[in-house]
Amino acid sequence: MDGGQTSTSAAPAGNSSDFVRKLYKMLEDPSYSEIVRWGDEGDSFVVLECEKFTKTILPKHFKHSNFASFVRQLNKYDFHKVRQNNEENGQSPYGQNAWEFKHPEFRANSKESLDNIRRKAPAPRKQTQPSDDSVPTQQIDLLNQQIVAQQQQIQNLSDRYAQLTVDHQLMLQELLRVQKTVLNHENVIHQVMTYLLSVDARQRRDSKAAAPFQAQGQAGSTMSPSQVATMDDEPSSPLQHASKLLSDMNAEIQFNLAGLESMGEPPKNTAVVPAPAMEAASRNGVARPPPTNQAMVYSKMNGEIEPVVYPVGATNGIDPMYSEHVNNVPYPMPPKQELDETRRQFPDNRKKSANVDPGWMRNPHILLVEDDATCRQIGGKFLYSFHCHIDTAFDGLEAVNKIQDGSKYDLILMDIIMPNLDGVSACHLIRQFDRTPIIAMTSNIRSDDIQLYFQHGMDDVLPKPFTRKSLLDMLEKHLVHLKIQPGMEPPQSAASVTMAAQSSAAQSVKEDSSPGQSPVTPMNNWQSPGQFPGMAPVAPSIQQVPSQYVPATPAAAAYAVDQNGVQYPAPPVALTAAATAAAARPQPRRQLSEMSSAGEPPNIAKRPRMYAHQAQPIVNPMQATRTG
Amino acid sequence: MAPTTTTKTVEEPPKETKPIPSTLAEMSESIDQTTFEQILEMDDEGDNEFSKGIVIGFFDQAETTFEKMEKCLKEEDLAELSSLGHYLKGSSATLGLTKVKDACEKIQHFGAGKDETGSTDEPDKKTSLSRIEKTLKQVKEDYKEVEAFLRKYYGEPKTSS
Repeated sequence: MDGGQTSTSAAPAGNSSDFVRKLYKMLEDPSYSEIVRWGDEGDSFVVLECEKFTKTILPKHFKHSNFASFVRQLNKYDFHKVRQNNEENGQSPYGQNAWEFKHPEFRANSKESLDNIRRKAPAPRKQTQPSDDSVPTQQIDLLNQQIVAQQQQIQNLSDRYAQLTVDHQLMLQELLRVQKTVLNHENVIHQVMTYLLSVDARQRRDSKAAAPFQAQGQAGSTMSPSQVATMDDEPSSPLQHASKLLSDMNAEIQFNLAGLESMGEPPKNTAVVPAPAMEAASRNGVARPPPTNQAMVYSKMNGEIEPVVYPVGATNGIDPMYSEHVNNVPYPMPPKQELDETRRQFPDNRKKSANVDPGWMRNPHILLVEDDATCRQIGGKFLYSFHCHIDTAFDGLEAVNKIQDGSKYDLILMDIIMPNLDGVSACHLIRQFDRTPIIAMTSNIRSDDIQLYFQHGMDDVLPKPFTRKSLLDMLEKHLVHLKIQPGMEPPQSAASVTMAAQSSAAQSVKEDSSPGQSPVTPMNNWQSPGQFPGMAPVAPSIQQVPSQYVPATPAAAAYAVDQNGVQYPAPPVALTAAATAAAARPQPRRQLSEMSSAGEPPNIAKRPRMYAHQAQPIVNPMQATRTG
Repeated sequence: MAPTTTTKTVEEPPKETKPIPSTLAEMSESIDQTTFEQILEMDDEGDNEFSKGIVIGFFDQAETTFEKMEKCLKEEDLAELSSLGHYLKGSSATLGLTKVKDACEKIQHFGAGKDETGSTDEPDKKTSLSRIEKTLKQVKEDYKEVEAFLRKYYGEPKTSS
């Protein structure tokens, strides 16, 4: 046991590891020299007999008999197997099966240096190594995680978006349904009101001369001029109040919902959206029963312009009510101009009026579905005179086929009762794949009939027999988007241009006379329900206006006035208190235009001046300053 | 045109001997002036081909319809009578032929088993039929009146049937 090395072995290796000391001790045992010994140089040791070493020595010193594990242990202490490549045949000097291990600090007779042999720090070493490689890996992992997370986020967002879209659609539909319900209720209320008014009027009328009044069994019939006029005499009644409330309410409701609807049906209404309130208001004005207003409108319309035709009465009474229903298509000012023109010409020269150009940007393409030859011919002729392209269908079936075959129309006029396929069914079918506006042309205009039409997707009702005017109104209402903007048309005459120009004029005025615009503009915002009240201040100016400008309903006033006012001097009656507020609008064109156009983008700069000019004389102080 | 020009009407020879009026105003009972003038306005300058064509077309239509109505009356086909009434109502209304239109409307209602305003049910088929018969007779009278007037108006004596 003690060779020359004993001396060295005396010094215990305090810090050296157990394994290394065992290893050293084992090598000091000379009896193992055949199996394991120091290398020739003393700087390595050699396992000569691997098998014997494993079986006999390992158990003694290391308590196991696993050579591989011994080698592993060596490796842990940074021993390295000496490769036998120093000789050409690759053979170790100690024999083929010898394993020679070497460590710089592991030498024979150098027990002290054992302390320097340490177990490789596995952790740090392993860490450093992998950490070098893993830096990019980790980053990639991180990035990957981020990407995944983001993808999930995006996914969530898009899911949410989809969900919201669906929800939105549902809400929209729901709202539209609600709107429809509300409108239906309104219609009912209107009809009731109309009926009540008619009863009321009838009572009062007894003594007075009754104008020919044809009972249509319809609400509209109640509005014959005489009646209305009589009603006018009655300054105020509960009915009046009620109807006024109703109309005010309508204006607002209408306004709010209009935007909605336009959302729902963008393609159709886009052009129209800007002025829904206007339309609603005007509609209400006409439709609603308030005696004062009506009086003004109808007395002129029916009494003078269109001597009462039973159809006309019906039209006026009913159309407006239901039109609200439809699209809230605002009545642009321009169309009225046409009416003006036509109206003006009727009395003077009938022939000329036959081909009034409503001012389309392109000729509307109309499908006229009508089984009755007479109606078809006349309707076609009227349409033709309005510069429309006409296609006709004999019945609902043919109409559906035409649409199905891809014919595109701007408007479909649909008779209801027809052989083979009635108009309502045809409309229903067409609505499955097409949104072209469909107008029911029918004499069946009881409210439940009309309800049915709307339920099946019709957009409006043109009571039969229609007049040329009612037909034109309908076209202009639903084809607003095809109209040339008012500003574009050359002024034809002061009278004819008036209303049409108003809007544009107003804009321009506003533009040009920036200083003055502020006071009135806010109130006049086109769409705001408040616009009516806003006009009140202007009312005084009415007095100055020639009587011809007869105010109608606040909203409707503009049109009514224009239409009628131009040629038909308004009866003095028109200037009732109620009218005044409304009336403010019509007369001084400029003023009106300014107000109404306030909300619109200015189109034409030149126009305004013209009007400003024209209007000057009748302008009230407020206006005057502005224009100046 | 002498009143006798109407003698050839399909249904019944005219019995009236009063002179046919020559202006629309005189016919205001039967013809709505405004409505009819609307159609006249559609005529081209210098002729009245369009309105005349429509009016003549209406005569054919009306007479055909009256024949059908007579037939349906015999067959007691109320539904078809109502439908025919509606049909002729449309075109007569479009022309402003108020009387004819009103009568046709009544026939439409009677045929639908209602009273003449269409508001109350009339369960008795016989009653409805007899009312239609009466109304039909009346509407033919009314029709002949306006036909005579319009033919005179257009200087178009009745040529067929």
